[in-house]
Amino acid sequence: MNAPVIDLRGIAKHYRMGDSDVPALQGIDLAVTRGAFVAVKGPSGSGKSTLLNICGLLDGFDAGSYRLDGEDMSGLDETARTLIRRRRIGFVFQSYNLVPVMTVRENVEYPLILLGMGEDQRIARVAETLALVGLEQLAERRPDHLSGGQRQRVAIARALVKSPALVIADEPTANLDSATATQVIDLMRGLGARHGATFLIATHDDRMTAHCDEVRTLTDGVMQ
Amino acid sequence: MKAQLELLRFAWRNVLRNRRRSLATVIIAALGAAAIMIAGGFALYTYDALREGAAREFGHFTVAHREFFQRDEETPLQYGLENYRKLSAALEKDQRVTRVLPRLNFSGLISNGDKSMVFLGMGADARAEGAARGVFLKLLEGSLFGGDEPGAPRVLLGSALAKSLNAHPGTPLTLLTTTVEGSMNAVDVEVSGIVSTGWPEIDKRLVYAPLPAVQKLLLTDKVSALAVYLEDTAMTPAALADWQARDSIHTFKPWWEQAFYYQSVRALYNRIFGLLGIIIAVLVFFSVANTLSMAVVERTREIGTLRALGALPGEIVAGFAREGGLIGVLGVVIGMALAGLTTALLLGLDVQMPPPPGRSEGYPLKVYADPTIYAVAASVIVVLCIVAAWFVSRKASRKTIVEALGHV
Repeated sequence: MNAPVIDLRGIAKHYRMGDSDVPALQGIDLAVTRGAFVAVKGPSGSGKSTLLNICGLLDGFDAGSYRLDGEDMSGLDETARTLIRRRRIGFVFQSYNLVPVMTVRENVEYPLILLGMGEDQRIARVAETLALVGLEQLAERRPDHLSGGQRQRVAIARALVKSPALVIADEPTANLDSATATQVIDLMRGLGARHGATFLIATHDDRMTAHCDEVRTLTDGVMQ
Repeated sequence: MKAQLELLRFAWRNVLRNRRRSLATVIIAALGAAAIMIAGGFALYTYDALREGAAREFGHFTVAHREFFQRDEETPLQYGLENYRKLSAALEKDQRVTRVLPRLNFSGLISNGDKSMVFLGMGADARAEGAARGVFLKLLEGSLFGGDEPGAPRVLLGSALAKSLNAHPGTPLTLLTTTVEGSMNAVDVEVSGIVSTGWPEIDKRLVYAPLPAVQKLLLTDKVSALAVYLEDTAMTPAALADWQARDSIHTFKPWWEQAFYYQSVRALYNRIFGLLGIIIAVLVFFSVANTLSMAVVERTREIGTLRALGALPGEIVAGFAREGGLIGVLGVVIGMALAGLTTALLLGLDVQMPPPPGRSEGYPLKVYADPTIYAVAASVIVVLCIVAAWFVSRKASRKTIVEALGHV
């Protein structure tokens, strides 16, 4: 049987607002198998981003358990979480979040520098990934000289260059027009399959959910 | 290695991100570095000039009777040197020694017939003293005298004393003093020249007279002490140690133990320049901290992104430290050029400093380009910039990633 990459059980998360606790997530159970392309839908404030932040180890949780690739993520300190993110998790953000002083090539190369990968291997891996997203000709451009679609392709390349087990994508098509959004979705699906990566995507976009293996809906912090 | 260069390149691009702000910070770092280098170079020059002046005045070390510096003499030359010629000959055999000058200190009254003044005199060979003291003994009128000249003894007067006695070269005067036996004795002398030591208080009382004439006047064949001059002031500690080990009968006192002015000026300048250095350091620190704290705020979201990608807080701080270091290095390079240029300009221009307290003559404003001072100033500025960068970025690097990513 295909073991889940994400295995959440009874996850709860509260935020403090003044003197009161506001529940963001309540008793979330979620299992996402390797290579799956899973969308989480829900209105604003439903807890999608909080769920993705927990799965991406950007944020902690108050109750429940989280196993990533079979490994318990409870009680890890920030350094341990950072090192797991570095090796095993890629991120695609709604606003691309590319580093403006880095070229396309350097943005994609940065996660490999963090991994301490040798120069030759880095160069080969970056070139291969840029070719897969069709940006090899724009490798030396800075992000501010790219269109929105091109920027998101760079972000996808940056997320996948280290062949992560999990890619967290928060509204990856929200800022893109229809045609570009479709290209980006196809790209994510194609590269995900090629790298064996599991995608967990927060989205409102029906074009995106139409391409997902599974769509889960969150309402007021509760998984439907 | 290549990865480190890449990270350095990113830091450089971040420095260039807000050029005007970075330029202002680099200029402050450059001015700070230049100020420390110039002030340090000026202090070194001043210490050097004062050291040479003191060493030329007292000799690199003085040889005297064991009690000479310990006790007050009840009668003149009670603790004088008796067989000084033999000791002088032994000292002159040391290859480091360039000259040994016997000196006999005495005091009394000097009169032109109408007016009498108290003087502090020295029996010496004025030509040898002049040669030893160089620019630190300025002959204003007349000529110096030798050690043993025929005829009436000739004397040198301090400029203020000469003015008080209305004396000029050729003017006859009378010296009245106490002999070693406690009786009074007098000798007629003729003014050979007028000198200035640069110290008004000394020039009011100073009389140089030929040593044989003074010995005859005091009825003694002793001298107060021997002033020993070396090839180089830097040789003093070693030569002194050798002679102290060789001769336990006499006292050997180095110039720095007699040069109280040098010690106090040095202590004063150390405090002044130390305080100046601290002020400059604080200015540079806050300037760099201000620039980088603005950069940190502007790049909070970027910091969140890098943290999400797997950068540890220390790696984020290291990135900012690289930027601070680059600002510091750039500032130091420009500062060195500024300091070098100022040093060269001052070498070419004859800029005079006003006389220091207690002195009558100014001195040229020069600045040493000292490699140690440059290295220390450069290190201090670069380290300060790195520390300022660390200081402002460490908090942001520990902000929660979710909060950082949500920063607008």
